Parts: sequence; C-alpha cells; structure tokens
Amino acid sequence: MATKIIPRTISKNVSHPGVNMGSKGTFKEKLKSSQFLVTGEVSPPKGIDFSPAIENMKSIQGFVDAINITDNQCATLHMSSMAFARLMIENGYSDPVMQMTCRDRNRIGLQADLLGAAALGIPNLLVMSGDHPKCGDHPTAKPVYDLDSVQLLRTINHLKKGYDFSGNNLTGAPDFCVGVVSNADPNERLQIMKLEKKLSFDVDFIQTQAIFDIEKFKEFLEKVETDVPIIAGIIPIRSVQMARYMDNNIPGISIPDEIHERIQAADDPVSEGMIISAELIMRLKPICRGIHMMPVGAHTYTEKILKKAHVLE
Amino acid sequence: MIITKAKPFEEILPFVEGRKSIFIIGCNVCAAKMRTGGEPEVLELADRLEQAGHPIIGWALPTAACSVRSFDHLVAKNEKIKDADCILVMGCGSGTSVVSSVTNVPVTGTNETVSLGGCLGLHPSEHLCILCGECNIGDFSGICPNARCPKSQMNGPCGGSKNGKCEVSRENECVWYLIEQKMDSIHLIPTLSDIQMPKNHLI
Ligand code: SF4
Ligand code: SF4
Repeated sequence: MATKIIPRTISKNVSHPGVNMGSKGTFKEKLKSSQFLVTGEVSPPKGIDFSPAIENMKSIQGFVDAINITDNQCATLHMSSMAFARLMIENGYSDPVMQMTCRDRNRIGLQADLLGAAALGIPNLLVMSGDHPKCGDHPTAKPVYDLDSVQLLRTINHLKKGYDFSGNNLTGAPDFCVGVVSNADPNERLQIMKLEKKLSFDVDFIQTQAIFDIEKFKEFLEKVETDVPIIAGIIPIRSVQMARYMDNNIPGISIPDEIHERIQAADDPVSEGMIISAELIMRLKPICRGIHMMPVGAHTYTEKILKKAHVLE
Repeated sequence: MIITKAKPFEEILPFVEGRKSIFIIGCNVCAAKMRTGGEPEVLELADRLEQAGHPIIGWALPTAACSVRSFDHLVAKNEKIKDADCILVMGCGSGTSVVSSVTNVPVTGTNETVSLGGCLGLHPSEHLCILCGECNIGDFSGICPNARCPKSQMNGPCGGSKNGKCEVSRENECVWYLIEQKMDSIHLIPTLSDIQMPKNHLI
C-alpha cells in the first residue's frame, strides 16, 4: 500500500526545524527530523494464530512511522509483545515498538527479554508500569513490579552502555530507541514529576494518553518544557457511551463537554468521532511532534481519519 | 500490628477431621485486637467445633502466639496440651510457625494473615508496611508507597491514578495522592523528585 506522505508541519517541540525526511529512514531517525509523525498500535493475538494481527499491521504499515505492540494490555493475557514484534519483522515491517511493562517480570526477566529483543532486531521500546493484574483476566496473578518504569529506564540505560543492572559486562550492547508514556494532565504535578524523572535518562520520545482537550494539552506542554519529541495519543470515539466511559473511568483522559455534545447530537457517532479525531490532529500538528493512533479494535478507520486531517493524501 | 482475618469455619474442618483431642491457642495481642484470636473468639471456635462433633481438650491464651517461650511455657498455661493430637492457632502465620516449632503434633492457623498494618483508635489500617528490610519511609514523610501502592511505585504515581483514587480499587485513595497532600502541607514536595533506586531483596 503506497500512500503518499504529505510533508508535515513543524512543531514547537522540534529541535531541527526545516528538515523533512519524508517517509524514509527509521523511526529513530525520523524522531530527530522535523517531520510530523504518525504511529499506530497493534495488539498481539490472544492465542497463536497471528494472521489477523498481521493483517491489522498491514492495514497501516504503508503510512505510519512506527507501530506499537502492546504488552498484555489491560493486564489481559496475549502473545508476548517481543514474539509478535519479531513476527512483524518477519512479515515485512521493520519498525515495531515493543511495549514493555514492569508488571510481569523481575529485573532478571526484564533484562533477559531486552537482550533477546535486541538480538531479534527489535529497534524500539516503549516503557510503562503496566495495568495491575487485578484489572485483567488473571486477577489472582502475582504483581511483580520489581522495578518501576523509572528504574527500568535506568536499567535500559545501563544495558545500552554495555553492562547489566548488577554492573556485569555484556557481550555487545543493545541500541534501542526508547519511549516513555505519560498522561497529559497539567494538574497532576506528581505525574509530571515522574515524567521528568524518566526524562533524566536517555529517552527518545514521549507518548501520551489520548488527547481530547487541546487547551489542557497546551498547558501540559508548557509545564513539561522538553525537547524530547512528544507524540499525542488519539482514540477515535465511536459512541456516546464510549465517550462517557473514557471520560469517567480512564485515568488521564478528559473529554470536553463540547465533544460529548457533538457525539450525542450526531446521527452517525462513528463518523462524527472520526471528524473530531481529524480536527484534533490538525490542532495538534503545530504543537507536538506526532500522533499515536490507538483505536479500540482494528485500524479500520485510521487511514480515513489521517486523510481527513490532511496528514495523508 | 499484624492484620488477620478469620478463615471461614468450613475451611478449618478438614484439618480437624478424625482428630480426638484438639487444642486451641489464641493470641492476646494483634489477633485479640482484630477479634480473630482473643478469648471470646477462642471460646466461640471451641464451642462450634464441639457442636460439630470435634472434641476440644483445652485452650490457652499466650500473650503473643509469635513469642511463646517454650512448650513448657504452654504446658504451664494448660497442661492438657500434652495430650493434644492437633493444635489450632488463632494468630497470624508467624504465631502458628512459632507454636509449630515447639510442638510435634500437626499445627495449623485459623486465620488469613493479611498484612502489617496498624490501628488508629478502633480502625485497623491494612498494608502499612511490607517489611522490605530497607526502610526509606522518611523520604515520603511516613507514608510508604512500597507497601501502600499495589504496584509499589517508588518514583511517583502510575498513570492509573485518577482524582486521587487508585486504579486497582477506586474505593481506595492512591497512596501518591496521600503523599502529595502530606508533603505539600509541610512544603517538602521538591524532595520527592529524587530518584528512588530499586529495592534490595537480598536483605
Ligand atoms: S520502606 Fe515501607 S515496606 Fe519497607 S520497611 Fe519501610 S515502611 Fe516497610
Ligand atoms: S493509582 Fe496510585 S496507589 Fe494505585 S497503583 Fe497507581 S500509583 Fe499505586
């Protein structure tokens, strides 16, 4: 699928304005450019039949700059993100972002998988604490959290320098492009403090929770003040209930009344949700380095939304 | 204080099945306070077991089940223990372990040992400390995120904290919200930005 990438605008959160690498280069290289980036997200299968998930990947690989692979998202058992990232590479996609939570592995398990991921050619990581097992389909599982996300980033830094958590030398060091997640609520000062701790390590990008309130997001950007590229999350709303549920229950998501009203008034909430996403993307374009598309379910409408937002032709 | 909860009566029955001389040991400290092993609870359990056809030969209430001095010390409280063919300990896991170490009959506990907590007035609080052996509770002015955050987040709240409530159970406050309030009131928020290193589990 060869969708032409329109040159994208430059944001405030960009270190080298004027450079545009188009669709060439790795995600890591593109992060260093001034290009407005689009990333997507694919969930590994719940089972071993990976072809539907690969199809989902294929539906977006032609026009995104990287694809996240979730790590047992919502603490619900899936195929490992490392295995699926490798399957993506074998199926023709070279820039997977392996999500890695601190929930299921201690410092030995995490490092072992990091070394394995590097050897398997997985170039990018996205580090997070991870939802607690109680939220998922194995609520009685032992929550590990031996390291938190800040401590895991520090450990990754060590691996990249060629030694492990305990200071032992490695034969060859991984060279990951490393991302961190953050909510974008300007009023959560301890979450911002935690983000700042994360940024004290070698971080290549920040990926946020879904953004619906641009004014709040701008306040957040002012508070964080960083040159690390920020990629804003986008979740297309599909129904009145979904909007309400996310607003009330998903931490870090805040949906302005105006959006609720528009979805309520719409004859077709799905297409109104797509228009809202496209508008948000257009407003985000001048103020951050990219967007991360994370629809609930498959990427059925992602391309359409990006076209509406004039990010794709 | 160790926080305990009484196991359902039915869960105790398989252990006493077929036993002829059951002895009960309570605990007059934490379990008494939690009403899971003080005198009224010991008498109630003895009564229920008797009624269910399980013979009780006696009971004793040491000050703390986790610090009995010796078997003789228990004999001094009630010499019937010498004839016991099994012992039920109405304390915590630690109390049961100590009693087991001074006796040579089967021993079990009748409680779930939940956590190390405390009591403010009459209200027990759970999970105040998880005994990590490397205490830095002072960094958080006496509110331990290692113990009180279900994810042991030491460097700040996880992304699941919403309106001061915890992702894992929205009825509970996020411990980082409590830390923020306390540290704010004593103007110590900036000290929270120090990076906390991983815990040493070797200790
Ligand atoms: S740091 Fe927390 S868990 Fe560890 S000993 Fe201190 S209070 Fe207990
Ligand atoms: S919401 Fe707060 S207490 Fe709950 S898991 Fe997250 S950081 Fe810990």
